[in-house]
Parts: sequence; structure tokens; C-alpha cells
Amino acid sequence: MVNAENPSLQTGSPVIATGVSQRFGSNTVLKTIDLNVAPGEVVALLGPSGCGKTTLLRLLAGLSRPTTGSIHIGDQLVADAGGGTFVPPERRSIGMVFQDYALWPHMTVAQNVGFPLEMQNVGSAERDTRIAEALGMVGLAHVADRQPGTLSGGQQQRVALARAIVSRPRLVLFDEPLSNLDRELRESLVVDIASLLRKLGMTAVYVTHDHGEAFAIADRVAILHSGNILQIDAPEQLVGNPSSPIVVDFLKLGLVLPADVQGGDLMIGGGARRLSPPAGLVNGSRSGQLFLPRSALLPSNGGNRVAAGHAISGTVVHSMFRGDGYAVQMRFDNDISLEMFSTTRLGDGTIHDLDISWDRAFWFPHEDVQTDHTHNA
Amino acid sequence: MRLTSLKSRVFGNGGMIFAAVAPVLTLLVAFPLLFVVLQAIFPDIARGIFANPFSRFVETLFDKHLISWTLNTLMLGGSVVLVSALVAVPLGILRGLFRIPFAGLWDVVFLVPFTIPPYIAALGWIMALQPRGYLEQITGLNFGGFLFSFWGVVFVMTLNVFPVVYFAVSRMVASIGGRYLEAARVSGCPPMRSFWRITLPLTTPAIAASLLLVFAMAIEEFGTPAALAARSGFLVLVTGIEQRLSDYPIDLPGASLLSVILVLIAMAAFVLQNRIVSRRDFQTVSGKPGASRPAELGAWRIPVVMFFAVIGFLGAVMPILSVILTASTRTISGGLAADNFSTDNFTEIFANSGGAMEALGTSLSLGLGAALITGILGTMTAYVVVRQRTVSSRILDFLTLMPNTIPGVVVAVGLILAWNQPWLPITPYNTIGILVLAYCCLLLPYPVRYANAALRQVSVSLEDAARVAGAGGIKVFFRILMPLIFPSILAAMLLVFAVAARELVATILLAPIGTRTVALFIWRQFEQGSVGMGMAMSVMAIAITMTIPVAVAIWARKQGRLF
Ligand SMILES: Nc1ncnc2c1ncn2[C@@H]1O[C@H](COP(=O)(O)OP(=O)(O)OP(=O)(O)O)[C@@H](O)[C@H]1O
Ligand SMILES: [Mg+2]
Repeated sequence: MVNAENPSLQTGSPVIATGVSQRFGSNTVLKTIDLNVAPGEVVALLGPSGCGKTTLLRLLAGLSRPTTGSIHIGDQLVADAGGGTFVPPERRSIGMVFQDYALWPHMTVAQNVGFPLEMQNVGSAERDTRIAEALGMVGLAHVADRQPGTLSGGQQQRVALARAIVSRPRLVLFDEPLSNLDRELRESLVVDIASLLRKLGMTAVYVTHDHGEAFAIADRVAILHSGNILQIDAPEQLVGNPSSPIVVDFLKLGLVLPADVQGGDLMIGGGARRLSPPAGLVNGSRSGQLFLPRSALLPSNGGNRVAAGHAISGTVVHSMFRGDGYAVQMRFDNDISLEMFSTTRLGDGTIHDLDISWDRAFWFPHEDVQTDHTHNA
Repeated sequence: MRLTSLKSRVFGNGGMIFAAVAPVLTLLVAFPLLFVVLQAIFPDIARGIFANPFSRFVETLFDKHLISWTLNTLMLGGSVVLVSALVAVPLGILRGLFRIPFAGLWDVVFLVPFTIPPYIAALGWIMALQPRGYLEQITGLNFGGFLFSFWGVVFVMTLNVFPVVYFAVSRMVASIGGRYLEAARVSGCPPMRSFWRITLPLTTPAIAASLLLVFAMAIEEFGTPAALAARSGFLVLVTGIEQRLSDYPIDLPGASLLSVILVLIAMAAFVLQNRIVSRRDFQTVSGKPGASRPAELGAWRIPVVMFFAVIGFLGAVMPILSVILTASTRTISGGLAADNFSTDNFTEIFANSGGAMEALGTSLSLGLGAALITGILGTMTAYVVVRQRTVSSRILDFLTLMPNTIPGVVVAVGLILAWNQPWLPITPYNTIGILVLAYCCLLLPYPVRYANAALRQVSVSLEDAARVAGAGGIKVFFRILMPLIFPSILAAMLLVFAVAARELVATILLAPIGTRTVALFIWRQFEQGSVGMGMAMSVMAIAITMTIPVAVAIWARKQGRLF
């Protein structure tokens, strides 16, 4: 256990959740979650609304008890459904930033920030120093004596951040801290939070439903989907090597086309289109989903490649100017759409062929969609 | 074209509404209250003479009754506040923090005291606790000495007003319960300490504000101290004023001065309450949606439920039970014997004995009239106040909300003084019209407040959108605004109806000779000793004021989302 009195650079503890599940009545919100967070690592929990992100975070915080499984923070066993161990939040030495700030309106900014220190019986002189230091880190030293209600949303969230880190907790938890702020503020605050966490070497779990935010802040991103962690990887790895169509779909990485295999060819949309992948991509499975990342779709250089099964054609829905080019919304077979990039404006309603570079294509066979995939690279 | 533009100017900027409403409000509110002050200064103002200002002032001011009645008023208010705090603050905090078994039931039970007029509850308690009352018949215990004492008055009044505190506190605690407490726990604060450091400080403004409201309600109450303590000579300002006006020689300057003192005390309470409620940290809290998860009570379940049950029984069940028992027994002396139960009292009521049916009809029409008038006036005023933020609209706002701080007895004094001025060409005094004036003045704040709140919810752009779509000002008002705010106004009108139909003290002072209302009927029956019929009428009054709002609510729901 790391001593909170000693602000060494490496203050974060490892976090290990093993077989954690959460059931509310008959509703299983989290199914067997395993999560290992290294000391000083920032992990983002990314997923659609209602997938259980907040539920998992509250289990780590000790704001609720797991139905099964155990959680360690550092060497401390903080929750164990089997053995009945449960350490309440106030004895976990953690920090937390809430979506709605949750700054206490009857205390000044400094009193809010100093509260965790007060709970640790830190003397008032040292407390003042550390409050000033924490407020300085978030750039708000000048508002120490204000009431939180008089600050802007972004400032309030910075105060909440200062409160969460002031006692150098072993683990800092964030529950969509930026979703109440407008985009510009979000982008600048996410950078500030990321660099502050790195500077202090803090272990953090950061819940969000915005992948830009997750990629910006996290060492590893866990994709949570209906109570399961589908994949947990570094952002680059997640984008380059997604583990399932759901991850692809959630991160909007490219086209996912359901297909049947007939004599080595892929029949899309019940045979409306036939694609001829190189041998080995499909690997013996009878049906599945073909994933074509954006990088696997290139403007066609003509010829008979569509007929030969090495290109697909899409209809332009609309081109939007984006400053450095055009974001082109294209519709493909089965009404699947994808946003592509183009350096020129493509006319609405025009049809374009896109060559498939098969070496970048993925195949998710149907038999075991969620865990296994073959990659023909 | 010109007609449309004229109409839209009329309704668009509220100028004409202001012109229509301002004189009515002046006549209704400012005129009588002005005369209370004038009478306190000019002793002969009743004859229309402004002579000898302050000539009786010192004499009245040093009246020994004045001092003792004022002290009694403060003492009564303070004691009701204290006992309410002891009962309702723990109840509210428990309800807000923990999962209480039958929580919904307790909320309904604690609403019941609001529907029982306090004087009826007091009469019910008399029947239960007086010597040879129901309690002594059943248990042999006699609490008569306690009931007819100062603390008896405090006890009965507390049971009537504590729900104000209970609901304010429980709602506040529940809304703090969620994030604020979780943030404290995560910051290393154990549960008990979080309660003292976070929950209690954040609840304090709600507690203080609701207790000040309780204070104001307690010092304005007439029926309870009159029924329980007047006989033993314990008078407060309200009962004192009533005595000055009904005992010979009638003392108008004295009653006015007492009224002024009472108003000053009530206003101080309201001003303080307002200050607390409008403080920033308080608002920050009340604006937050609370996603709180109530904690488990564990071993404390049984004692806590007992606490709720005892208070619920005393506040809601006991007085009503006592009223119903009295109404359905033939004679009081016959007691709870099986052969004493009968429906005679109700039969007599329906046979119009003692003018019972007329009293009922009079009260219902008065309630309906007051509801309609205040509903219309309130909506118009609120429209001007919300949509036109000028000085004159603020004056209107003040005029309509002021009666909130004015006790009913003072409104009655003002109406007596104002409408007996010799120079008036016509006067509603000595007609039933004076009661309509009194109820409208007293109850106008409800529709104004409800309509105000509802109008603030309606964004101006909704009106603008209708304008752009081609609707004129009047059309916008009736097609857009009214459907959106009508449910709130209806709710306020129901409240006005319920309160006006059973108002006691102003009615006692103002009702013309021979006019009977439900409240007067009950009061006089009790004074004359025919308690059974009075209680039968009480049962009907409670039933009507409870069922009509429910019936209207059901009807409104049947209309679907029409409004
Ligand atoms: N205390 C509870 N009792 C019952 N169901 C709950 C409870 N808390 C959460 N749930 C349910 O669990 C599911 C996951 O909730 P959770 O709050 O973890 O989602 P989330 O991923 O944080 O979503 P969001 O992005 O909307 O915040 C939801 O369907 C929710 O209704
Ligand atoms: Mg959430």
C-alpha cells in the first residue's frame, strides 16, 4: 500500500478485478469481468450507453458490492463476494470525479479540495500547502475562496479533479467527467487530465462513451459491451486489430459485410454481390462477417475488378467539406454506410467503385464471432 | 388587420391586462390593509375622520394584554416550531436517507393533516382527550388537563403543521443523498461523519425555511387556541383580536394595533424564510436531480416504523376517528356503547336541521366563487408579472403575494374598517360579498404562485412560434398558453376552493347576520353543545374537500394529455 503522506512520483497502485459480475434483481448488468490495471496505467472504459461502465466503476469505488468476484487495489483485497470482504469507499484511498462535478455547495473551493486531506487528519498548515498545490496543477489557484456555484462548468470540473488527486490516492476514477462540457473545453481538459495523471504517475480508470476521449487519455482502452469486456488493448492495437465486428462497428473502423461462403467466394446480400478473396482468408468457415477497414478500400483504378470480385461499389449520399478534404458518406450493399475521406468533392448520388486490398481485410467467422478472428496479413 | 394588431398589443405586452388587474388588486388587497394601518394611527377613522393621530396609541400600546398576548403568540409559535422540529426533522431525515418500510403509505398519511381544518382536528382531540372522552372510556386515562393547557395547544397544532417540515426535509435529504454523499465517501469520509459534514449542513436551510413557515402558520391559527385555551384565559394575538371585535365595547383601534403587531411578526418570519430560500447554495442543491439509493435500516427497522406509525396515528387517524365517532353516536354522554351508535346526526344534517344544508350550499358556492375569481385574477397577474418585467408588474407581484404574510384575522379587520367607511357610496359589507372579498384576498397568492411557476416553464419561443405560424395575440393566449398552464391553475383553484369552503376566523368576524357557512355551523354547534351534528358536518366537510380534488384529478387524467 502506498503511503498517501509521501508524494512520490509513482503513487498509483495496481488494480485487479477477477471474475467480477453485478446483478440487479434478475438483470445481469456485468458478466464475469476480468481487469488488470498496472500501477500508473490509465485505462479507459469505452462503450455505448447502458453497457455497464458506471456499474463497473462503482464497484471499483466501493459504492456498490459485486455479486461475484473479487477486487484488489494494491495488495488490499477490497471486495470479495465469496469471502464476504467489503471495504467501504472511505477506506480505499481513492479519488473520483463525477459527471455532475458533485462539489459541495456549502463549502468553498479550497474547503472542497481540502476535504480528503481533512479526512486523513492532515494538519492545517500542510493542508493549505497541498490545496494550493493541487489547485495550481489545475490552473485554478485564484478561485480558492469562491463558492463552487459561482464557477463555470469547466472550472468546477477542474476543482473536482483537484479534489480527486489532492490526497495522492492509489486510484482515480472518472465517470464521464467531460460529457457536461462543450466540445472545445472537452478537448483541452482531456489533454490536461492526461498529462496530470502521467506527471503524478497515478493509476486511473476513465469511463467515457467518446472514443476520441478514450484514445486521447488512455494507455489501454477496454471496449465494454452489454456487460462484457470485448477487447482491451492500446488504442493503436484496437484500431489496427479489432477482435470482433461489434468493436469495429462501435469504433466505426470500416465496412462490416455479412457473407456466406460458396466455393471459396463470398456471397454478400444473398448473392447480390460476389467477392473473391484470396484462399486462406475464410479458412474453411461457412458464413461470417467480412471486415474491410477504411485503409482496405481504395479508389478504383478502373478495369474489370468489380466483376472479378475484387471491388465493391457504393453510392455517394453526401460530401461534406472538412477543411482539409471531404467527408463522404457512402452507402453500400444492404444499406450499410460508411464515412470515407476524399480530396475532391464527389457528386451526391454518383456511384463509385472501390478496390479491395485483400491483405488488409479481416474475416470474422460466424461460429465463434466474439473471441476468435483470422487475419490474412 | 388593425383589429389584429390592436389585440396583439393588448395581450402581447400585457398593458391592458395590467390596466384591468391593477385597480381590482388595489381594491381587494391594498384598500383593506391600508385601513388597518390607518386605524391604528387615527382612532376616529371609522367615522371617516383623520383627527387626533396617535391619541390612543400610547394607551393601547401599554395595554397589559397587548404585551402578554404578544408574548403568548411568540411563545406558542416558538414552541410549535420546537416540537415540530423534534418530531419532523428526524422523520424527514430518516425518510430521505433510508429505505423505510411502507414509505409511500407514510407520505400519504402525513398529507392527511393538510386536509383536516385545524379547528376540526382540535374539536376531535377535545372529544378524545377531555374528561370522560374516548381515551378515558377505553383506557381510563384522562388527559383533559394536558389538552386544555398551553402544551395541549402546542401538541394539537404541531400535529397539524409538522408535515410541512417532514416533506421539505425528506425531499432535501433525498436529493443530497446521491452524488454529494458518494463524493464524500470516496474522499475518505465515513457514513456518520458524512451525515454531519455534508447532509446536515446542506439540509439546514430547508429545515430553517420550513420551520419559519410553521411559525407563521402557528401564530396565525385561530381555531385551535380558541377551542382549547381561550376558556382558561390563554389568549394569543389572533384570539385577542377576535375578542376585541366581538365583546362589547368593540375596540377597533385596539384590534388594529394588535393586527399590526401580528403582521409585523408574520412578515419578519416570511422575510427571513425568503432570505434563506433564495440563498445561492440552497438553490444549487435543490436544482440537482438526486440519484440516491436509500440505505438499509437493519436492526432499526422496527423502532423506526413504530415512530412513523405513532406520529401517523396521532396526526391523521386519531382526530378523524374521534370526529367520526362523535358524528355517529347519538349522545356524547352515551359514550362508545353499542346502542349509542346511529346515523341520527347525518339524518338531521340532511333534514336541514339548524340550516345545515344551507350552510353547506353557502360554503360550496363561496368556495367556487373564490376559486373562479382568484383563478382568473391570478392568471392575469402572473402573465403580466412573468412576461413584462417592469416596475409596475413588480408592484402587482407584491400586491398579490402580500396576503400570504397577512393572517386571516387581519384581513377581516381590514375589511371591516375599509368597507364601513361612511363616505362609500356602496359597500358589500353585511352581504355575502364581503366573504368573497375576504377569501379572494387571503387566497389569491396560491393561483398567482402556481400560474407564475407554470408560465416560467413556458418558453417565450413557444408563443413566438405560434405568432410566426399566424396566430394573433388572443389566439396565442388561449391556444398555446392556457392549455399549457391550465393544469397548474386548476390545481391552485382546487386548493382555494378547499380552503375557502371551510375558512373560520374571517368568516366569524365578517359573516352577515343569519348567514351560515360550514365552518360557522360547526363552530356554533360546538359552542351550543350539540357536538354530534357539528362533527357530522365536519365529516362531510372533510369528505368534500378530500374527494373533490381527487375527482377533478381523475377527470383531468381521463381527458388524457389534452392539457
Ligand atoms: N441500481 C441499479 N438497479 C437496477 N439496475 C441498474 C442499477 N444501476 C444500473 N442499472 C442498470 O444497469 C445497466 C448499466 O448501467 P450503467 O449505469 O452501468 O451504464 P453506463 O454504461 O454507465 O451507461 P451511460 O453511458 O448511460 O452512463 C443499465 O441498464 C441500468 O439500467
Ligand atoms: Mg454511466
